[in-house]
Amino acid sequence: MVKMKSRNELSRNISFIAMGFMVLFSIATLRAYFLQVLKSGELTELIQSQYRTSVELMPHRGTVYDRNGAELAASIEVESLYAHPGLIRDTRAAAKLLAPILDLPLHAVYRDLTSSKPFVWVQRKVTPTQAEQIRALKIEGLGFLKESQRFYPQKEIAAQVLGFVGVDSQGLEGIERQYDSIIKGKSRKLFADRDAKGRHVFVEGLQPSDQSRQGNDLLLSLDKNIQYIAEKELQAAVTLSQAKSGTAIVMDPWTGEVLASAVCPLFNPNQRSETDPDAWRNRAITDIYEPGSTFKTFSIASAIEEGTVKPTDMFFCENGAYHIASHVIHDHGSYGWLDVANIIKHSSNIGASKISRQLGKEQLYQYIRRFGFTAETGISLPAEQSGFMPSLKNCSEHTQGAISFGQSITVTPLQMVTAYSSIANGGMLMQPQIVKRIVDSTGAVVKQNTPVMKRRVISEKTAGIMRDMLKQVVAPGGTGTKAAVEGYVVAGKTGTSQKIDQGGYSHSKVMASFAGFVPADAPRLAIIVLVDEPQRMKFGGEIAAPAFSRMANAILNYLHVPPDAAPAQDPGLLKEIRTEPVKLAKLDEA
Amino acid sequence: MFDRRLIAHFDFTLFFTVLLICGLGVLNLNSLCSSEGNIPTLFYKQLSWMLLGLFFLLIIININYITFIRYGYYFHALALFLVLLVLFIGKTKLGSQRWLVLGPLSLQPSELIKITFMLALSKFFAENISDKPYNLLDFFVPFLLLIITFVPIYVQPDLGTAGIICLIFASYLFFLNINKKMFYPFLGLATAILPCVWFVLKDYQKQRILVFLEPDLDPLHAGYQLIQSKIAVGSGGFLGKGFKLGTQSQLRFLPEQHTDFVFSVWSEEWGLVGCCLVILLYFVFFYRGMRISYNCKNFYGAYFAAGISFFFFLQFLINICMTVGLFPVVGVTLPFFSYGGSSIVSCMVGLGILLSISMRTLK
Repeated sequence: MVKMKSRNELSRNISFIAMGFMVLFSIATLRAYFLQVLKSGELTELIQSQYRTSVELMPHRGTVYDRNGAELAASIEVESLYAHPGLIRDTRAAAKLLAPILDLPLHAVYRDLTSSKPFVWVQRKVTPTQAEQIRALKIEGLGFLKESQRFYPQKEIAAQVLGFVGVDSQGLEGIERQYDSIIKGKSRKLFADRDAKGRHVFVEGLQPSDQSRQGNDLLLSLDKNIQYIAEKELQAAVTLSQAKSGTAIVMDPWTGEVLASAVCPLFNPNQRSETDPDAWRNRAITDIYEPGSTFKTFSIASAIEEGTVKPTDMFFCENGAYHIASHVIHDHGSYGWLDVANIIKHSSNIGASKISRQLGKEQLYQYIRRFGFTAETGISLPAEQSGFMPSLKNCSEHTQGAISFGQSITVTPLQMVTAYSSIANGGMLMQPQIVKRIVDSTGAVVKQNTPVMKRRVISEKTAGIMRDMLKQVVAPGGTGTKAAVEGYVVAGKTGTSQKIDQGGYSHSKVMASFAGFVPADAPRLAIIVLVDEPQRMKFGGEIAAPAFSRMANAILNYLHVPPDAAPAQDPGLLKEIRTEPVKLAKLDEA
Repeated sequence: MFDRRLIAHFDFTLFFTVLLICGLGVLNLNSLCSSEGNIPTLFYKQLSWMLLGLFFLLIIININYITFIRYGYYFHALALFLVLLVLFIGKTKLGSQRWLVLGPLSLQPSELIKITFMLALSKFFAENISDKPYNLLDFFVPFLLLIITFVPIYVQPDLGTAGIICLIFASYLFFLNINKKMFYPFLGLATAILPCVWFVLKDYQKQRILVFLEPDLDPLHAGYQLIQSKIAVGSGGFLGKGFKLGTQSQLRFLPEQHTDFVFSVWSEEWGLVGCCLVILLYFVFFYRGMRISYNCKNFYGAYFAAGISFFFFLQFLINICMTVGLFPVVGVTLPFFSYGGSSIVSCMVGLGILLSISMRTLK
């Protein structure tokens, strides 16, 4: 009894402690809840990252063909060397054997082979000889996987249009980039699990790829031979004039299909690393320039279509110097009174400005936009530029005059050839296209592109008038006589635009161009040739026009287009074709 | 000779709860042993240790617990002798000298000394009881006992057990009827000592505390265990990954997975549900232990029962908290769940005495 007090004290303390226990139990339980329910996802991710490595294997990339089925970009299977570092017994010896075969520094190979990852690439895309030598070594823990390697069998041909791929077969430029998701196919993942010491490796998915994962093939509108001709003639003109670069586009004016798109300097995508990145750009869409006189065609066509000017109207060309406000507009020659056709034929800047003044700047701007300028054409190629002109409210009278003869406005070569196509085909602005068809690996058509007319810009009548005027340019006495092709009538316009240099128009740096179509009355080709900064023969009529002529001549021969001297085509059929371009496309293919 | 009342008061709830914990522990070990690279015999070893422990338990419950406590000093002296022996002829494992090799068996006397320390403490306090609260002078002998127990274990070094010894001693302060004024000197002493502890800690021990505060400090070495354990527990989710399917443990990312970190293996494979089940079982276990202490009319029994319940609870709490990243990594096993012969046998011995007290409550 004497110790009763102590006994009670003990009981009380025990009760307290039991309560304390409960609190601590709840804390432990809450912590478990926190980790296992609230943070579970995050921790699960962490866990996968430490035992699972995945390697993405690229499937067979689809082939890119020209319109006739010639391979432009193909994939070949090559072998890549991988290692399971944990499975290699003598890493040092293995590295010593491999380094000389792969032509790699010893320490780099050694570092790969001692990696803590369960799977490492030692060398991607080895040559068959290397693969054979390495196989002969019979080193445990090494293996090969088949990867696809991009190859461009036509070498330089259409390199800037096609673009190229990176080491993981990802499209980096051109068609390869734009259609990457379509032609690359479904990649498959190879998983490798490892234990904490990286010793036990379980690899799944090493079986060869199945066909269903293959990428789709592309059929382009390009024609390998036309492309070759365009590149050859462009290169010749660039070399002859010692120019910096050049661009040429050949388009089917009825369908908007690009038949050739050439850029100089050329480069070989198979040896891309040895070339200047400056050459990789597809200047036909990425480079804007001031079109110069080739643009007069559109300011004058607008005025005729609106009826503000009749073809017979005469304009006084101020004997070569025309004052607008504080500015002076000059002509190349000194002309008095000229009619509209002669303004084009002699390429009078003053005449073009006066015509556009009668039209009014709101109308001029509207037509320029309708012809497709200052907006991307929407051809499916990456990095397309839209060009630029001053906003309407900033457009002074002088600026309006400048625009009318192709200054103060920038365009892309593709916009220009598309606009010329609309004159050629009777006034329809076509959607430029480069891909005709997408086909899957079994040969079934995934997508077929048909010609699309964006809008009618001018009437057939106006287009006819323009065509006749443009023929005069190439006729004797015009600026573009050297564009003439024997046996065919050519319609076109020269352009020589001064390039902007150090804040003003340069006298030495010019862009010489010729844009036109042939045969003039039943056009099959719309062509633009641009020569950038020629050192000799600085006028469009001197360097671009002859290149146009040679190009057109060779292509017309290749296409077996009957010369104009022969009886003209059935006008009834022609009429039908002009209103229904889609039908023509079908005819063309048949 | 045989008293029916002994059976009548036998705490079956406690006994079967502990058996269930043992069962889950063995199941968990079985999962670990099936993975490639682990020692497949662990499972059978643990089973045999368990049976040995149960054998001891059966002997102990037939002996009146008072006998153990009366001879508590001798038991403690024996355990102390073994601990000292370890210092001279012990086997070094993982940098600590903790093992005494006796033929095929390796014994860890520091596991045993936790039980004998409680026997000795209970004996002292029960025999020096009066109706007045304990005074500071009454703590002279227990404190001496603490020092001579603490030092050899600390030297091994076995930080976990040394800490547990201190905590056992502190726990007696909680349930003894002591002079309330005495709390202050003890509290003061503890506050004064705690910062000094930092300077006597070895480098790896300091690191463990640092990485506990900031696990990303050294994720590949000192912080590795902690991070891997947290990942294992967390990735278990609500229902777990399933028996033998825990990637952390099966791919051996988790070190010490069969001993100190056995609970993270369990949590990974059985999820929150499994975690809560185990925590609940332990709760029942401690509740029954405290109840035995509460009901025991004899101070020997009451003190020892309270002490050992507190001890099991501390082991449990520290181990779980360490697993889920709430406590620095110290070598403390989860009683009845972790692999370890000495641990399981000494826990069984402790449980035997506890059951023995429950059977003789009315005496």
